[in-house]
Amino acid sequence: MSENTQVEDLVGKQYEAGFVTDIEQETLPPGLNEDVIRHISAKKDEPEWLLDWRLAAFEHWKTMSEPNWAHVKFSAIDYQAISYFSAPKSSEDGPKSLDEVDPKLLETYKKLGIPLHEQEMLAGVAVDAIFDSVSVATTFKGKLKDAGVIFCPISEAVRDYPELVRKYLGSVVPTTDNFYAALNSAVFTDGSFVFIPKGVRCPMELSTYFRINAANTGQFERTLIIAEEGSHVSYLEGCTAPQRDENQLHAAVVELVALDDAQIKYSTVQNWYPGDENGVGGIYNFVTKRGDCRGARSRISWTQVETGSAITWKYPSCILRGDDSVGEFYSVALTKMHQQADTGTKMVHLGKNTTSTIISKGIAAGFGQQSYRGLVHIGKNADGARNHTQCDSLLLGSNCGAHTFPYVEVKNPTATMEHEATTSKIGDDQLFYCRQRGISEEDAVNLIVNGFCKDVFNNLPMEFAVEANRLMEVSLEGAVG
Amino acid sequence: MSDIALVREKAWQEFEQTGLPTTRQEEWKYTSLARISSVLGEAWWKEAAASDIDQATVDAYAIPEFDAYRIVFADGRLQSVTSGFPDGVTLNSLSELLEKDTQKAATALQWNVQAPLFNAANAANSALARDGVCLCIAEGVVLDKPLYILHIASNPGATHLRHGLWLGKHAEAHVIEHYAGDSAEAGLTHAITLVHLADGASLTHDRLQTESLHQFHLGRLDVAQKRNSRFISHAAALGASLSRLDIAVALDEAGAECTLNGLYALAGRQHCDHHTQIDHIAPHCTSREHYRGILDGRAHGVFNGKVVIHKDASGTDSKQSNANLLLSDKAEIDAKPELVIDHDDVQAAHGCTVGQLDENQLFYLKSRGLSDEQARQILTRAFADTVLTGMHSSAVRRFIEQAAFAKLPGEIASEIADELNTAAVPE
Repeated sequence: MSENTQVEDLVGKQYEAGFVTDIEQETLPPGLNEDVIRHISAKKDEPEWLLDWRLAAFEHWKTMSEPNWAHVKFSAIDYQAISYFSAPKSSEDGPKSLDEVDPKLLETYKKLGIPLHEQEMLAGVAVDAIFDSVSVATTFKGKLKDAGVIFCPISEAVRDYPELVRKYLGSVVPTTDNFYAALNSAVFTDGSFVFIPKGVRCPMELSTYFRINAANTGQFERTLIIAEEGSHVSYLEGCTAPQRDENQLHAAVVELVALDDAQIKYSTVQNWYPGDENGVGGIYNFVTKRGDCRGARSRISWTQVETGSAITWKYPSCILRGDDSVGEFYSVALTKMHQQADTGTKMVHLGKNTTSTIISKGIAAGFGQQSYRGLVHIGKNADGARNHTQCDSLLLGSNCGAHTFPYVEVKNPTATMEHEATTSKIGDDQLFYCRQRGISEEDAVNLIVNGFCKDVFNNLPMEFAVEANRLMEVSLEGAVG
Repeated sequence: MSDIALVREKAWQEFEQTGLPTTRQEEWKYTSLARISSVLGEAWWKEAAASDIDQATVDAYAIPEFDAYRIVFADGRLQSVTSGFPDGVTLNSLSELLEKDTQKAATALQWNVQAPLFNAANAANSALARDGVCLCIAEGVVLDKPLYILHIASNPGATHLRHGLWLGKHAEAHVIEHYAGDSAEAGLTHAITLVHLADGASLTHDRLQTESLHQFHLGRLDVAQKRNSRFISHAAALGASLSRLDIAVALDEAGAECTLNGLYALAGRQHCDHHTQIDHIAPHCTSREHYRGILDGRAHGVFNGKVVIHKDASGTDSKQSNANLLLSDKAEIDAKPELVIDHDDVQAAHGCTVGQLDENQLFYLKSRGLSDEQARQILTRAFADTVLTGMHSSAVRRFIEQAAFAKLPGEIASEIADELNTAAVPE
């Protein structure tokens, strides 16, 4: 079957075959064992090899112990108390209209300037059909189809493009990679699959489409993006609006593969529930993200804005295998209240003349704890490799913390590697200057923080850069002064 | 059981229980001590035999033309000591204290599991240390000449040394620890120095390690600083097959200042690890750290600089930098400049670079008629020299420069070398 007819088939399946899975499916009781994995696999109608793959991951997971090196504190997770397969909430359970939604949430939506129908979707309001979105989605699907791009849920991809999935799944993040990746490999239920064929420039930011379709991202999400030779794709995950979620632990895996001359830009805006003022509740966001610049002159760029979650623990990484490949990491992480973030990146330089850039901006307020943890590894054969790392932290308030743990491993004399980091609070003189010109203290802080984050926001897709700015303002509300 | 026996017993138990650190531990990720026991055998801590070294040998190892109070240890045993210290300066050897003043000896032998960068080998040192220098300087006394402690290792086996430097209020001193030797057989030098600076005291501490390329070297420097005290350290690691130096500085009271500078020049299969931790516990303390490394051959360098700023340390000012030059494609550097900050009213920065010589600088020198090789040699030496500026004693500095430059590849034309030497050290 040619790719185009595959896409046609996919498109022909209508929206209901998309992210919304069969509501009839029962929820499994809490606990994790082989039967649960067999059940998930059976429900997803998966081929034998994938079940074996899951079981192997589970076998290995059982031999692993939870990592504890991160600079975060949380009570132990009982993995047997989690239900690993729950049908998506039926729309009848949700609030009937926006009037029933928590007014606090609505207020935030309003501040962020989110259109009404999107507000309804985000809050999980039972709307029969969001006609606008559906039609928009259909138009987008048509465009993608014309370009030959495959973009579908991963469970669908397993069914329709098994050879592609089999070839690439777990090739960047092996099932044995780490505790959470092994767990994810065993039990993942949802996620996206993107395939950009040779020489195609994806006609749109996959972000827009994703925003409409992503109402029910799973607790164990698995994303696989493959960019063939000379292709180009920009993908945005998450959105600025706060989303309520019942699952406490999120252990996602994202794998990117870029072949010769391909470019992947992966942007994340994460604003999960951070817990309340006393640090009770909130999401644990333990994610494994890795990009493999397999081809020469390929380029992978990670941009992330992390403002939510009680604990963020992730290191989007690049393996710069192809000669002249480029890895980039731009990050803004904000921790307030009792939030903790241990995030950073790994840049593994293996090919010749590989270049990587790391710009990380951490902002800690309240009792927030902020850590940058990064690795720059320049291997023996990475002649002429270059890295520039800059990680700055801004502290607001005397109870927060900002920490930097950069690892540098260099085995090649022709490499050039620079790392710099600074930590400071907002200067009194800067504040005074703004106040003197009639800017309120809160606005002044926002202004300075936005200036601090500019290098990263500049790398976000345009519409999100604007939103990200607003998100920072909303997030910092009450954190200052 | 006497105090000392008890301290030693407990320390030995701690060591037996925990054992040597392994590469599974974060602080030892890049440095494996397995080599020590595989080369020296299971009883690697067994003491080296005593040796008698004549004056000529001592002079051959010592820093030339250096006017100082000289104390010499040969294979961990006190060999000679000069007298004539000014009033208010008490200098005892540890072996002497162990006989006469066990209280003091117990203080010198103390160890603390909670101390930053602690490892069980430190406890073993408390249990086994046979000798060392215990220097006490009374309030307001300034030691008129530097104190030069020379250690020569010539026999296989281990030497465990424990030094203690206690400076009273506003006392001042300059102490040089020099570890030397050229034994053809493997041995272990294990030296721990405790430094205590009272209010306003000032200590300049130079630590030179030019041991034989078969030697293993484990070192530790523990510094506790009171109000407005100053500590300036220069550490040069040039010798030893495997060396590790841990420096832990606690800025306990307001206004304390510390400067840690270091140079490691490695070649062959040398492995050298520096771990430093500066704890800003009190407000308004300042720390500066600058380490540089040049690695040739199959050398492996490790630098880990950690600055911890505690909750109440308002007005902290901390800067750290580490630069490395790799000269060979087999050499490796693993660096980790860490910042742990739990307070907002701070200025903290660190930087780390690994790279090659600057093309523009090379071009500049070549355009002035120097060959490419000459230009490279000059710039490499200049790179190393940066951390040595500001050393108190020109004799020590020149000694380090000569020892370090001798390890670098290429012979620099003698007139340029002379030029460099005279230009570098203004008398």
